[in-house]
Amino acid sequence: MEMLDLAGWHPIAASSDLPTRHVFHGQLLGREFAVWRADDGFVNVWENRCLHRGVRLSLGLNDGRELRCLYHGWRYSSRSAGCTYIPAHPADAPARTICNRTYDAVEAAGMVWSSVAPEAEFALPEVLAGADPLVLRPVPVNAAPGVALALAEGLLPDARAIGAASVSFAEAGLVVFVQPLDAHRCVLRGVLLAQPDDRMAALRYHDGVLCGLRDRIEASGEVAPPPLEVGFQPVDAALAEMPARARSGPKAELRVQVARKWDAAQDVAGFQLRAVRGVLPAFQPGAHIDVHLPNGMSRQYSITNAPGESDYTIGVKRDAAGRGGSVCLHGDVREGDVLAISAPRNNFPLRRDSEKVLLIAGGIGITPMLAMAQALQVQGIPYALHVFARSEAHVPFADRLAGLAVTRHLGLDAAGTGAVLGDILSGYAFSHHVYVCGPAPMLTATREIAAGAGWPEEAVHFEYFANPEVIDDSTSFEIALARSAMTLQVPAGRSILEVLQENGVDVPSSCEQGACGTCVCGVLEGEPEHQDVYLSAAERAANDQIMTCVSRARSARLVLDI
Amino acid sequence: MMAQPCTDTVMLEHWHPVVSLDELRGAGRCRTVLLDRPVEIVRAAGGARVLCDSAPVQTLVQYGYVWASFGTAPAPLFPFPEFDEADRRFVVTGVFGVQVSAGRAIENFLDMGHFPYVHTGILGEEPHTEVKEYDVEISQSRDEILATRCRFYQPKAAVSSDEGADVEYIYRVPHPNCSVLYKSSPVDETRLDAIYIFVQPMGQEKIRAHTGMCIIDDASTDLDIRSFQQTIFGQDKPILENQYPRRLPLDPRAETPIRADKSAIAYRRWLAAKGLGWGVIPAGA
Amino acid sequence: MKLYDFELHAECYAARLMLSLLGVTYQTEAVDFYPEAAHLAPEFRAINPLGRLPLLEDGTLRFGTVQGILSYLAAAYDPTGHWAPDTAVLRGEVAGWMAVAGELAATAGQARLIETMFADGDAEAARAGAEALLRVIDQHLWFGEVEGRDWLCSATHPTIADIACFPHVVLSEDGGISRQDYPAIRRWIDRVKRLEGFTVMSGVFPTSSAL
Ligand code: FES
Ligand SMILES: [Fe+2]
Repeated sequence: MEMLDLAGWHPIAASSDLPTRHVFHGQLLGREFAVWRADDGFVNVWENRCLHRGVRLSLGLNDGRELRCLYHGWRYSSRSAGCTYIPAHPADAPARTICNRTYDAVEAAGMVWSSVAPEAEFALPEVLAGADPLVLRPVPVNAAPGVALALAEGLLPDARAIGAASVSFAEAGLVVFVQPLDAHRCVLRGVLLAQPDDRMAALRYHDGVLCGLRDRIEASGEVAPPPLEVGFQPVDAALAEMPARARSGPKAELRVQVARKWDAAQDVAGFQLRAVRGVLPAFQPGAHIDVHLPNGMSRQYSITNAPGESDYTIGVKRDAAGRGGSVCLHGDVREGDVLAISAPRNNFPLRRDSEKVLLIAGGIGITPMLAMAQALQVQGIPYALHVFARSEAHVPFADRLAGLAVTRHLGLDAAGTGAVLGDILSGYAFSHHVYVCGPAPMLTATREIAAGAGWPEEAVHFEYFANPEVIDDSTSFEIALARSAMTLQVPAGRSILEVLQENGVDVPSSCEQGACGTCVCGVLEGEPEHQDVYLSAAERAANDQIMTCVSRARSARLVLDI
Repeated sequence: MMAQPCTDTVMLEHWHPVVSLDELRGAGRCRTVLLDRPVEIVRAAGGARVLCDSAPVQTLVQYGYVWASFGTAPAPLFPFPEFDEADRRFVVTGVFGVQVSAGRAIENFLDMGHFPYVHTGILGEEPHTEVKEYDVEISQSRDEILATRCRFYQPKAAVSSDEGADVEYIYRVPHPNCSVLYKSSPVDETRLDAIYIFVQPMGQEKIRAHTGMCIIDDASTDLDIRSFQQTIFGQDKPILENQYPRRLPLDPRAETPIRADKSAIAYRRWLAAKGLGWGVIPAGA
Repeated sequence: MKLYDFELHAECYAARLMLSLLGVTYQTEAVDFYPEAAHLAPEFRAINPLGRLPLLEDGTLRFGTVQGILSYLAAAYDPTGHWAPDTAVLRGEVAGWMAVAGELAATAGQARLIETMFADGDAEAARAGAEALLRVIDQHLWFGEVEGRDWLCSATHPTIADIACFPHVVLSEDGGISRQDYPAIRRWIDRVKRLEGFTVMSGVFPTSSAL
């Protein structure tokens, strides 16, 4: 039957069905939808099934930016539908590819339109073009859509079929869309093409007409066909296996356009990056992207956005003495330029199983802290953001800081900073966590002060932007790859990562100086010589993982889990 | 209208609970449905007799329940030694009808990750949401799944204190539709309470869930214990009835497991290895 | 004040919800409604001859129906007079929707008891009756939204009628009645859940906070 054509576009909800912070339960051709509007107005149409254990997302909680599943609290971002947080594993970053099935949606003429398997872009039915329509109350009917349409055509004498699933009555200025919920159920969605003088009276009158039509359809005695059999798309094979540890996503390259570039603070340029096509993948607070620059370099920048935002915003500090990345971004890249970036990777995940979170940011280190603070704010978890900067003019993204629980510490020298850190870190209690990002000396100081104040190592989380250590690459040793059954020689002057990549072993990497954690690899045997700043002291001592870009071997041989 | 009676040999060759002796004692007889067949249970010498279309069905009375099987040679019922321990109280906390498959119900029983969200303030509480590493094995000798070293934060973990703390759990799945969990007794930390769910599959997507406990506790009344367990079960019910699809998918790519779901993964594999094809969506279907 | 109570009983929940919304403190005494049917035992009938839950005791006063309990609580403990308003129009409306709540109990509520706790009765007939009522309620609430009315009655605030209907509606899935076809009812449920003093019961979950 034509009505069950999967490619067609149908109205699936009225705009008024989607007030803020609500989740509408929709359906089209047997597929159930969870439909929700984010606070910024964006309408999400998702398969009504949490990827974790299949619970209907229409039971979920719409917090304005993310949808939280009722069963285990997984959070999915507006727009991308990507999972941003798995509470059962608060220290892991969810694999990037855990993404709900989304359906195309267009909001037009007071209704939300969608299609199960669209073959063409949405086009507003011609009768509605230019109209200022009044959307009537939707009337669900327990009958096959085809039966409903046939009887709808008998409603008034001047019926004219438009498309496969609607009928218009010119004289009454009425169009009735039959939304096929399933083979045996449908919704009558009526629209008046012009605003009547007495709106209430018109709504009531036509509601009576449609209810009468519904009653006739249901009384027609046609036996409804059985429901459609709907298959579900299998999840990615990589997700079906239980991951031993969250792994970084593949190196997918995305194209973004610089939608806006501005002075976010003295010496800091803000860049708002917008997808050239489609939707940017979901990101978690703490995540960074690799930005590939016109000069051939690639640099890592933290995403500063709040949950559910559509563009990525990064902050770039001008560093004339650096390797040239920031100078290139400041000088050469302009609004409208297209850049290649990696998908977000999160090596600095934010635990949210905390009773209180301290965020400490120094200078440009504020970027990941901003994303974290905004996520905590939205979720209602107590936190305090401490920003250290030379002066107010040096505090980036002041607009985003407004409304957050922030304290500024301006113009302090090393001793002053230490004293303030001592104060901030004085009250450790169970289930408190501290996150710090900033210049290396400040990180080191924070870690020492925290340790002295009784913070256990696993409660102190840090991200170095750069590895301040001088890397010693003078040793040579052997590596055995347990899973690839290969033995390779690492000579002086080359890193494990380079040797692996040269031999065709794919290891993701990003900063390549032992700061970001992307190139981590498990160690099964042998003793690593750690030279990174990513692992904590306890993680180093465990000797079961290594940053392959800078670290080497103390033993003659390492067996890597790769 | 009743669906075609189940012909899945795995299901047919098991014993299934149909009514608690408690309930039978009160009512004298009970009509219900098992594997899409109407059955009637009547009191008789030795406890009870089960009839289907007036013909006798193999009957077993064990662990406070009447069990029935349509198989030719159902294996003996799994061991449940705590039931016979003299100092434990046996409390039947009730039987509830749920529109879900047996497999989904068992998986929910094994799941700790939902405690803060579904049993808020009772078995868990935000922000303490972490499911710590635990061990799962399929015991070959006993053909059952065992999850040990499970711990989860519980507010008000003991009767004697208002503080939250990690509570230990051990889970057993000795039967495709039955599970027993052991958790530290709030009264005596050195002992473990046993809490069971015996699922009676009425149809592929409709069950009667029989729950109860064998516990170390002289202080609480039966009513207290029942109220507690019914509250917990009532919280799970709307979740179970909103799992979509209702039958348990056995294809590993049907849903997305995480480390916290180790026991559920083992359970699905174990069912698949048995060749179960009823109440589930078999892999490759 | 003491409420004779059973956690999973829809009308007991209506009483608890009202007490919570009014901020009244009370004790409960659990009555083993299921599986023991203790509400029908002579001991309980001695205090409530109707053999019914909930039962509210306030000093020497006793109220043994949910309608009585809600009306009494609103009249005695709500200084604003909002929950049981006194105008002629609203009194009529409240009484009407209280009657609908009773019909919901006999249909949606009964379907739930049949499916969940194996009460006797015809579940299909109970569901059909409930669906007919839910259609009307959904229509009424939809037009309410257009007219700027958020609740069952025409007041600018909820009344005991909303509280009397809410449990049977929010628990309808237990009786096999999906709310997918009643979008305006689903929005009204969110509004009830956002009332200050709202409380959940086993099987009812909070919603997200409003913008
Ligand atoms: S089923 Fe949605 S979070 Fe587990
Ligand atoms: Fe549960």
